[in-house]
Amino acid sequence: MSLGPKATPYLEMRGTTVRAVEAELGRLWTAATTRVDRGDGTVVTEKGVPHARTSVLNLIVTVPNEAASDHILETLLSLDVRHPSRAIILQADPSAPGDALDARIRTHCHDGENGAGRVCFEQLALTVRGEAARHLNGIVAPLVIHDLPTDVWWPGDPPFNDPVFTQLVEMGDRLVVNSADFGDLLGGLKRLGVIRRRSGVGDIAWERLAPWQELTAQFFDAPRFRRYLPNLSRLRIKYAAGNTTQGGTRSPEAAALLYAGWIATRLAWRRARSRGGVANGGMGMILEGRYEMVDIGIEPVTTDDAPPGELLSVRLRAFGEAGSAEFIIDRPATEATIVTNADGMTALLRRIPLEPESEAEVLRRQLVLDQRDPLYEDALRAAAILLAAAQEAAA
Amino acid sequence: MTIAPAKPATSSVNPLRQGLRQERMPEPCTMVICGATGDLTLRKLGPAIYNLALGGHLPPEFTVVGFARRPMSSEEFHAHLRAGIDQFSRNRPVSESVWSAFTAGIEYQQGNLDDPEAYAALARRLDRIDRDRGTAGNRLFYLAVQPSLTPEVVSHLGAAGLAGSSVRASGRQGWTRVVVEKPFGFDEQSALTLNRQIREVFDEEQIYRIDHYLGKETVQNLAVFRFGNGLFEPIWNRRYIDSVQITVAETVGLEGRGEFYDQTGALRDIVQNHVLQLLAVFAMEPPVEFSANDLRDEKLKVLRAVRPMSADEITHNTVRGQYISGWVAGEKVGAYRDEPEVAPDSETETYVALKLGIDSWRWAGVPFYIRTGKALSARVTEIAVQFRRAPLALFGRAGAPGIDANVLAIRVQPDEGILLRFGAKVPGPGLNIRGVNMDFRYGSSFAVDSPDAYETLLLDCMVGDSTLFTRDDELIRAWEILDPIVASWHTGGGGPLHFYAAGSWGQPAADELLTRDGREWRRP
Repeated sequence: MSLGPKATPYLEMRGTTVRAVEAELGRLWTAATTRVDRGDGTVVTEKGVPHARTSVLNLIVTVPNEAASDHILETLLSLDVRHPSRAIILQADPSAPGDALDARIRTHCHDGENGAGRVCFEQLALTVRGEAARHLNGIVAPLVIHDLPTDVWWPGDPPFNDPVFTQLVEMGDRLVVNSADFGDLLGGLKRLGVIRRRSGVGDIAWERLAPWQELTAQFFDAPRFRRYLPNLSRLRIKYAAGNTTQGGTRSPEAAALLYAGWIATRLAWRRARSRGGVANGGMGMILEGRYEMVDIGIEPVTTDDAPPGELLSVRLRAFGEAGSAEFIIDRPATEATIVTNADGMTALLRRIPLEPESEAEVLRRQLVLDQRDPLYEDALRAAAILLAAAQEAAA
Repeated sequence: MTIAPAKPATSSVNPLRQGLRQERMPEPCTMVICGATGDLTLRKLGPAIYNLALGGHLPPEFTVVGFARRPMSSEEFHAHLRAGIDQFSRNRPVSESVWSAFTAGIEYQQGNLDDPEAYAALARRLDRIDRDRGTAGNRLFYLAVQPSLTPEVVSHLGAAGLAGSSVRASGRQGWTRVVVEKPFGFDEQSALTLNRQIREVFDEEQIYRIDHYLGKETVQNLAVFRFGNGLFEPIWNRRYIDSVQITVAETVGLEGRGEFYDQTGALRDIVQNHVLQLLAVFAMEPPVEFSANDLRDEKLKVLRAVRPMSADEITHNTVRGQYISGWVAGEKVGAYRDEPEVAPDSETETYVALKLGIDSWRWAGVPFYIRTGKALSARVTEIAVQFRRAPLALFGRAGAPGIDANVLAIRVQPDEGILLRFGAKVPGPGLNIRGVNMDFRYGSSFAVDSPDAYETLLLDCMVGDSTLFTRDDELIRAWEILDPIVASWHTGGGGPLHFYAAGSWGQPAADELLTRDGREWRRP
């Protein structure tokens, strides 16, 4: 694993205690002079120079194994100055033998621009074994920085029914998940809908929709096209379903459903019913729009050009005084084509770069948020309704 | 099953825009930069527009037209902008994928700024852009020209039919705004004349006088700090505040602005706009609403309450200085009078220290000490509030030395943030008390980058929010405050011109301004 140029090597603590880890974290900032060899011939001095630990947030991350832990640590390093003040990466296994607690600690510093001082962040990777792994809140609580918001990031498929999940979520002000990784998407969406935290729930799949939402909204910023909105009658969404070589995304349809849920709630569409049930990740629904019945189609596409779950295409169709209108965003690979076909004219508006974002880029935006997102909460509820309707028909 | 209904949308609102991160998306528009090949475009405007595009803050139809005398193709103008972005943008180097989309909406129109035909050609180009790119007749003219050219450019814009919010050739009525850079005149009379000249063409609502200090996060946060927290506003008055120091210190010299600066000086260049705007935001009463005119009404009241100085008071309460050679940040700096385009016997001040009073119920008796200068030892802009001491020296009886008064320092640049200094017991036996800092820094407390002030202000202008721009009456009042000082200095009043070594904190005379009041300058 390559370290950033300003990340210190790990301080390894095997068979340790929470109190010892807590003391070591405190020493990082209070020792008269802590000299840490960066490994590149220079030395970081933790006291006596004008730098400070950030005061942004604590981040608690759960991982299944050490490889995942290393991946998360790398992702966090790439967050640069948006790094959480203290990141605690938890790898817990109640059935594992050995010491109850191992810890790895390192700091990561950035020089400020324009005369600003150096700011530093801490990463703490904990491996918890045996009975202690069933009581993670007791281990984590003393290690978070007081009076800072705490986000809990649960990558993968969260064990919604595991008491440890509840323990950690209740420690945080915000839960961040990726609904595209849920094994049971409908069950997961429903559970997310009832989790109440001060800063709500963040969803990586939802965050990936941000550029799509922006491009969609831009169609209707112009008043002459806005008049088509009440008359939308068809929505087609295509998403990357991955292929046999790409794994890890169990519910690639999540983002497409959230997008449909977003449009449906913004435009107050009502009463969903299935149109053909669910087949291979594709589904169709009929909703009541303001003036038209709206036909929604969600279709998976097997492709190597985009990661599973990424949207590939959105097409909105409406009827207006001058005939039908179509609003299209196509993103086959790393570039999007945005087309408006309305008022009797076809206009290729533009092509813009729209590359799938890395996990770190998406997470970076999520960590900035410190309040509930009503837009997401509405879309989440609607997505669950749409999926339930489609699944009921399939059953 | 029922999908959760949203509020019914009105035709004037895009329901898909509501709740998105980019809620303040400007309408499609064209920004015309008059004087587009100059330093301001290279250093500030180009990077600001690029960063706004990079952040997705601009509509797809947004178009820039560079308008200047120098012959140049649109492609060469792109290269000119790119050089500036690569050097001065907070996001650099340029992202290739964003750049190609960004430049698709950037054109160059060559023309002499004194040639009516050039404006006619510009008008034709803008009409064509309205048709081709759907900019709907919305136009923003940014006057990045020498101050002396402002009236002429404005006049030509009007004569070419480019100034009014009238029906365009495209058939749609769009808005037109004009951004004017400082200096806004060089005294009250010239400012009134300039205002009149601009107002002959544009309405006041169309005029955006830009002072980039007002676009800085900390200055905006000053209002939030005061009026968004219950803790501070109750003590923001003469009962608790002993004095206020406003410092705008630069380490740089003239940077090629010798001719302009020698005719202007620190008082006009910095105090008339930046410092008095900082003072006004700091000292104003809570506005009824956080809206453009309410805010500017309150700032104006502060400026109106600044006590006029008699000739004697000017002598007593002002200090002016000029730097001589010295060392700044390890580099030798020549004397001001040796700078290019500066008269060898120049009397222009490169340093000013003032003591102002505000005759209001809130601030009566609280001195506001102001200092600004070039070639000083540090680059810093801050407002420092010194609170009154505790009424009883309780710990003195127990043998502890006197406790420093509390200080609240609002750091505008660099390292934007707020610092509160208070006394704390030194650990250990005995009762020793020492000042400690409680320090908030933007850089370490928010997981986001602060936008450059020009980004904030350009976006505000495009969405028609003039809150952070200076209104004509504020501007005139600022000159009314300073004109007597300038006049006194020019007639030999107000004390001598002092000299200070580059790299120092100014001259002892400025220290005397405070020490005679029993105070001293903060060393930020």
